[in-house]
Amino acid sequence: MSDEIQVSVRWKDDAAVIDLVGDVTTFAEEAINQAYQSASSDGAINIIFNFRENDYINSAGIAILIGVVTEARKRDQKLLMTGLSAHFQKIFRMVGLTQYADLYSSVEDALASINSNGSS
Amino acid sequence: MERHMCPQSTRVVELRIPSELGYEKIAREAVATVARRLDFNEDKIEDIKTAISEACTNAIRYGSGADARMKVVVVLTADENKLDILIKDPGAGGSPPLNTGIPDINGMVAGTERLGGMGLFIIKELVDEAGFVEADDDEDEGNQFRMVIYRVEDDQTELDQAAPEDNKGGTTS
Repeated sequence: MSDEIQVSVRWKDDAAVIDLVGDVTTFAEEAINQAYQSASSDGAINIIFNFRENDYINSAGIAILIGVVTEARKRDQKLLMTGLSAHFQKIFRMVGLTQYADLYSSVEDALASINSNGSS
Repeated sequence: MERHMCPQSTRVVELRIPSELGYEKIAREAVATVARRLDFNEDKIEDIKTAISEACTNAIRYGSGADARMKVVVVLTADENKLDILIKDPGAGGSPPLNTGIPDINGMVAGTERLGGMGLFIIKELVDEAGFVEADDDEDEGNQFRMVIYRVEDDQTELDQAAPEDNKGGTTS
């Protein structure tokens, strides 16, 4: 019973937006890593992980995201996360992931932050 | 809000799911239904769903080596005051994880700690009681993990949620 997830990359202003539709579990590892590598290969400095609010994320999925954080720090990339429900925002804070990726309610809010910081 | 259970009544729901990652989602949906009948608020139901997902994932991954021929048994016992969740696995996958400490995310990012090992910590943060227990029945071999979530009035829940606690594991360098 593999969980279905669709991961795609699009560009918005100066950021790569990785849209995740589906469950973020151990089954999502390959799709997430491929999307991240694709965005990086295209020169992304700002990468927004855009979650769908009601999807299921477990600790294995969080571990995948921590792996991405590790790579992003080596490349001086900025990670931002959007669309998370209040529950998963709480979980991300609980495990410390928000030390490495700022949370925003929407892609537009994340882009506004990038633009105001002039980090593009 | 009207409660859906008769006073002093107990309801038991038992599930047997294949020991295969992904099937924990059935337990997740079932516990949400039971928790709604107990009138837990939606925030607490999300906590319970995440806790049971993590516990079932551990049972599948470590308790039975993700061998789909084996079963993980989930027993949900609901009464007026609490939801009691027992998760049984065959104990065939080696020792279950026991680390309940704050995840060292800085170590994971630095590569000095392995990725993962966060499930029990998350569970302990989200429910009132959690831990491995001894089986009541000698014939029950394997691991048994129990979680209890007490039903509190909404006023108290709001007070508890007013002060979320961030991970204090360190700062970004």
